[in-house]
Amino acid sequence: MKPRFVTVMLKELRETLREKRTVGLLVLFTLMYPVMFGVLMQQLIDRATRSEREGIELAVIGSARAPTLMAQLKQKNINVVDTAPLDEAAIQSLLQKGKVAGVLRLSDKFVANYTAMRPARIELWYDSAAEKNSQRREVEDVLNAYSTNVASARLLAHGVSPATLRPVDVQRYDTGTNASRSAGLIGGMLSMLFFPAFFCGMSAAVDSTAGERERRSMEVLMAQPARAWEIVTGKWLMAATLAVVGLTLELLFAHGVLSWLPLEELGMSWSLSAVDIALVCLVAVPLALLAAALQIALAMNAKSFKEAQSTLSLVLLLPMVPGVVVSMMDLKTSLWMYAVPMLSNQTLLREMSKGVEVGALPFLLTFISAAVPALAIVAFASWRMKSERYVLAV
Amino acid sequence: MIEVHDVRKQFGDVKALGGVSFSARDGQITALLGPNGAGKTTLLRTLVGLLKRDHGSIAIDGVDPERDPMAVRRNIGFLTDQFGLYERLSTREYLAYFGELNGMVGAALDARIDEVSELLSMDDILERRTKGFSQGQRIKVALARTLLHRPRNLLLDEPSRGLDVMSTRALRRALMALRADGCCVIMATHVMQEVTHLCDDVIVIAKGHTVAQGSPGDLCRRTGIDSLEDAFVSLVGEEGIAA
Repeated sequence: MKPRFVTVMLKELRETLREKRTVGLLVLFTLMYPVMFGVLMQQLIDRATRSEREGIELAVIGSARAPTLMAQLKQKNINVVDTAPLDEAAIQSLLQKGKVAGVLRLSDKFVANYTAMRPARIELWYDSAAEKNSQRREVEDVLNAYSTNVASARLLAHGVSPATLRPVDVQRYDTGTNASRSAGLIGGMLSMLFFPAFFCGMSAAVDSTAGERERRSMEVLMAQPARAWEIVTGKWLMAATLAVVGLTLELLFAHGVLSWLPLEELGMSWSLSAVDIALVCLVAVPLALLAAALQIALAMNAKSFKEAQSTLSLVLLLPMVPGVVVSMMDLKTSLWMYAVPMLSNQTLLREMSKGVEVGALPFLLTFISAAVPALAIVAFASWRMKSERYVLAV
Repeated sequence: MIEVHDVRKQFGDVKALGGVSFSARDGQITALLGPNGAGKTTLLRTLVGLLKRDHGSIAIDGVDPERDPMAVRRNIGFLTDQFGLYERLSTREYLAYFGELNGMVGAALDARIDEVSELLSMDDILERRTKGFSQGQRIKVALARTLLHRPRNLLLDEPSRGLDVMSTRALRRALMALRADGCCVIMATHVMQEVTHLCDDVIVIAKGHTVAQGSPGDLCRRTGIDSLEDAFVSLVGEEGIAA
């Protein structure tokens, strides 16, 4: 004969799987994150590699008026596209197409002003919303350099040292790499990977406790020769099974997407082997157990499905807290992080994706730190179900 | 055999049971009569060990439900005022679930489900999911669940409500068969006709106290009133004045 909690679990599982809404949500959450992750990363990679592949395109109106400037632009790998005179609207539509980083317009009086040593106007048209700001800055740099060169030559002709014009010499050094720029985003995305532990079993946990109470079948169940812990455990394991299945599938799917993406382009790596990802999935099991236990323990006290749902949506914020706190306080990875459920899984995955050898202790801590509270919560829920106050409210 | 002696139960300041004593014998159908709020539900919940009494003793086939609730429940069929059906399960799956909770398995369980289904003439709804069942169909399913594990003691809270004539007869036949088998049946009801036709013994409770116990005839003789309904009103009223 199978143990009673298995009977309860199988019945709840069968009932849950017959509800399309729950199954739909399960599939959605399993697939949504990896797909979202993949698309975002792909975009990031595209953006990072685009500027290297393509040169900068610059439309110039009246390029013949400043041949030296054009030569300097070309030297800096800026592709000058000679363009017929355009009015404002035409320039705008040209910029909107997104092909060119900007439009240079040299006025008719440019040559006259230039030779007369009056400020000769060059207009730079650009679209600041078009994510081509770094390209624009390169063009501006060339223009500045050109302007300085001309000024220096003119000063020199008057016997003044050009150095007078440059009391300060600014040199720019950019230490940011593509990898460090995307690291924050990727860290956040990796943390998101564990949320299905909380989403997948939630609706089933609510339905089998608050829902059962609302439908008034809880009293009948409690009057059967089954102990409170057998009933609670059955329902808990059912919700946990859904969470474990959802989370594991999602992690494996995400692993597939991340292995397939050319992350090296961002200077990142996803160096998890099959064994590694299996281990990550394994230590995520107690997290799912903990999530399900929490949901069962809270939902069983609610009188209706609706009440339970609103309580639990608040609880959904809970797993976000440690991750947010750590990233806000900018804490370095240390051992205590593996003792905080959810944070431990996130930290573990982040470290492993970097290829760090974490050793056995973090795995053990991650497993135990979630498994122990899960059992404690189930014990509490069983004790609660036995209490007269609960019986009376059923 | 269910023996209850001076059971009291208090929730805060509210006295739900103030001293209930009776004994329901095997092979008899015992009616539990009482106005709404008399403490019937509390009494039944105490009998299956869901609630703990403050005072007194209970023995169900000699076992105290507080000491060994599992043993007591295995021998009790409990029909509450709520049916507790699962809409996404078929009747057969529903019965199989409660059968397994009561320790039944495999072919024996299947055979027993068919047996109970025949007894309550509910073959037509056996394979259907219970969503959208009529009141009568619901109570049949709940009754089938109550009888499934062949309990020696039955606690039925208004089993005939919402049943049509045919189903009421089927229920009556089932109850008489159980009596013939030597089961101890306690049935809370408000239908006096049913009591007169079916019950061997009557317990009247009011305001948490046992007012009287005896056969319908006894109660009529004791009050000197011919109709059981009037006798019941007079008994409950007396207690009301006494309290």
